[in-house]
Amino acid sequence: MNFFPSRFLKAAAVAFGLLASASAMAQTAICYNCPPEWADWASQLRAIKDKTGITVPPDNKNSGQTLAQLVAEKASPVADMAYYGVTFGIQAKKEGVTAAYKPAGWAEIPDGMKDPEGHWFTIHSGTLGFMVNVDALKGKPVPRSWADLLKPEYKGLVGYLDPASAFVGYVGAVAVNNARGGSLDNFGPAVEWFKALKKNEPIVPKQTSYARVLSGEIAILLDYDFNAYRAKYKDKANVEFVIPAEGTVVVPYVMSAVAKGPNAASGQKALDFILSNEGQAIWANAFLRPVRTSAISKEAQARFLPASEYARARTVDYGRMAEVQKAFSDRYLREAQ
Amino acid sequence: MVLAACAAPAAVVFAAFWLLPMVQLVMLPASRGAATYFVVLTEPRYLQSLVQTTLLSAAVTMVSLVVAAAVGLYLGRRSFAGRRLLLAVLTLPLSFPGVIVGFFVILIGGRQGPFASFTDAVIGERITFAYGVTGLFLAYVYFSLPRAIASFTAVVERMEHELEEAARSLGARRWHIVRDVWWPALQPTALAIGAILFATAMGAFGTAFTLASRYEVLPITIYNEFTNYANFALAASLSITLGLMTWAVLFVARRFGGSAIGAGA
Amino acid sequence: MKTAQRGRVDTPVLLAITVAVTLFTVLPMLVSITAGLTNNFSRGLASGLTTRWIEEVWALYGSTAWRSVLLALACVVVGLLVGVPCAWALARSQTRAARLFEEVLTLPVAVPGLASALALILAYGQIRGFRQSFAFILVGHVVFTLPFMVRTVSAAFARDDLQSLDEAARSLGASFMQRFLGVLVPAVAPSIVAGSLMVFTLSVGEFNLTWMLHTPLTRTLPVGLADSYASMRIEIGSAYTLVFFIVILPILWGMQALARWIENTHGSSPGARR
Repeated sequence: MNFFPSRFLKAAAVAFGLLASASAMAQTAICYNCPPEWADWASQLRAIKDKTGITVPPDNKNSGQTLAQLVAEKASPVADMAYYGVTFGIQAKKEGVTAAYKPAGWAEIPDGMKDPEGHWFTIHSGTLGFMVNVDALKGKPVPRSWADLLKPEYKGLVGYLDPASAFVGYVGAVAVNNARGGSLDNFGPAVEWFKALKKNEPIVPKQTSYARVLSGEIAILLDYDFNAYRAKYKDKANVEFVIPAEGTVVVPYVMSAVAKGPNAASGQKALDFILSNEGQAIWANAFLRPVRTSAISKEAQARFLPASEYARARTVDYGRMAEVQKAFSDRYLREAQ
Repeated sequence: MVLAACAAPAAVVFAAFWLLPMVQLVMLPASRGAATYFVVLTEPRYLQSLVQTTLLSAAVTMVSLVVAAAVGLYLGRRSFAGRRLLLAVLTLPLSFPGVIVGFFVILIGGRQGPFASFTDAVIGERITFAYGVTGLFLAYVYFSLPRAIASFTAVVERMEHELEEAARSLGARRWHIVRDVWWPALQPTALAIGAILFATAMGAFGTAFTLASRYEVLPITIYNEFTNYANFALAASLSITLGLMTWAVLFVARRFGGSAIGAGA
Repeated sequence: MKTAQRGRVDTPVLLAITVAVTLFTVLPMLVSITAGLTNNFSRGLASGLTTRWIEEVWALYGSTAWRSVLLALACVVVGLLVGVPCAWALARSQTRAARLFEEVLTLPVAVPGLASALALILAYGQIRGFRQSFAFILVGHVVFTLPFMVRTVSAAFARDDLQSLDEAARSLGASFMQRFLGVLVPAVAPSIVAGSLMVFTLSVGEFNLTWMLHTPLTRTLPVGLADSYASMRIEIGSAYTLVFFIVILPILWGMQALARWIENTHGSSPGARR
């Protein structure tokens, strides 16, 4: 009996051919790190599709994975645009994986929030604090300071994203460092704090864990105000956002056009939309601080914590923050993991 | 020659899509100096990760082998209604990606899981085991057992029972039977499967990634280096170390166990 | 299959272990299936059953299921075309080179997937069409599953009785192709099927390589699962797992049934059963 009938082989060849054909979509732009559950990218991606016709598939990397993948694919990129924390944007420019592009609305972006040549530009900012699922605390008091988190009553309840690969993780480290007396040149307090926190058995995910806070799996997460507000007002969860008593930081998230991206034109159009009034309004409605502050509505503004709370949130020298990031990650992995 | 022609396609595919790219990768650490190749020995963090991974893999292999042998000895010598179904269910996890197993552990041992609820009811504190070494260990055992059960059951089915019958009728104690009848019959398979279990556990990434475990294993360390400002040279160096170690174990097992590896499911 | 078991003596310990293992294996699957159908996992079944999670998962990730299945089937086909002849060559060849090749072939199993994937990207990432297609992932899968297919089948090819069959056919004037396709391959059919099953299973569950090789447009089931576990609610992760069961298991069982059928019609391989 002939074991490989030719019909079978032909069918296999057809299937193979179908698989081998590249994604032949008319208008697609690939984004690295556009997770639907973060900063309401889901709405932004939908709006981009509706208003410009460009399909941007969601992608769940974190900033570190994004940079690593971009560098690995430098010779022939897969992505057209990337979203990451500002320090990763600065590093990406150094690695030569970004393209210079100034989207519409460029002029309204403040100077410190964009690369002069257009290799990265802020699209929104956030303030780091505690995103607390009050129900999951089961009666325990909501923590109000960095020192509170070290208390044994919060054992098993605290989570923070990996400071070595996720930007929000690094920001958390910088925030607690500054709040407890350190500086960008001395990360001692941060390392000590993480070491002390280990006793409380924290959960350290590597990717967006918004839904895990909502479901109660992680009761207290070091995360941004926008994720917490969205949980509270959009998803109606019993979530509270706390700006720690000792202080915290405000950081921008940036996007870059990827150098030699496959669908560069579509990517640029998508970036234009994100910086347009409509795009910025989506961030505003999702409780981020859009970089073009004209876009935020009174209503959305009213939902933020009062300005007196935000007085404790400072900006940082982002360039310096980028320079010292690698050394800190190494130190964190070595000492505090 | 005909034989060479038969092996040619495989050789070409393998050379093109693994060997040559790997050679290129192996050169990567050299860009940071020859010492980078030995970074696993010089940097305590990496060494610790390697040791932890090896200990975990060894423990998982031992436990899985013993437990699976017991199950194989039971199922291989019986026939009852539903036996085939039971075997199918027990070997089901073979098709699971490691991430599912990690998820199962979070489901059962995480903060919202039944285990936490149980400890909450009993001692008033929600205990989670998912994110520590216990969770990781249980997950690894979960995906190792099916493979071993499949092999052991097959071997036991073919085992000669006359020997055991004779031993029993001569009054041999259970321990003697285990040592003198079961162990020699199962040993080749145990060696072969054990090597595969060990190799799989050493290289498992998805499970540890999903669990975000506190117990760091080498594949996660490699990931950390990879995403830490795209540190490919170090990631490559650690991968080579892991690869060499695992391959050495497989090699030794094959030498001692004959060609039993891969001949069974 | 074996003859009647005499009433097995003791083994309450073995029974206990078997029961424990069954519970250990099955319980998480059951909890997961339930969670995927429950409205709210922390409140449990009290919150009611629903299919909305499955619907949501299907909308978000449905395509990954078929992609993974097709990919696995393609992997089996390539594995057969490339691996079976290679297995025969390795079984018959006595040379050092053959032994060396056999050893080297198993290296992809030892090296972490991340490294193999990185190597592939650095080597072939430039070829844009290739990089962005499923063929890129397929190649990674093939290289990883090839040793399993080759070893399984080559063990069967190495049997002595096959050699005599082959000799007999050759002396009767059959050409190589006739012998290969008409005599040798059917004789090792059960091993080929076992190998195919293994390759399919490995490919469907492959994560280590695929995680790095995929693009947002070429996500497979395990990659989607990992995303949903990390970022989505437990109910969605469970529903997605349920979708995995519903899609993959019937295919696996079908293939296993096919395997048994082939084994029965082709007669069992000599020496396998008494």
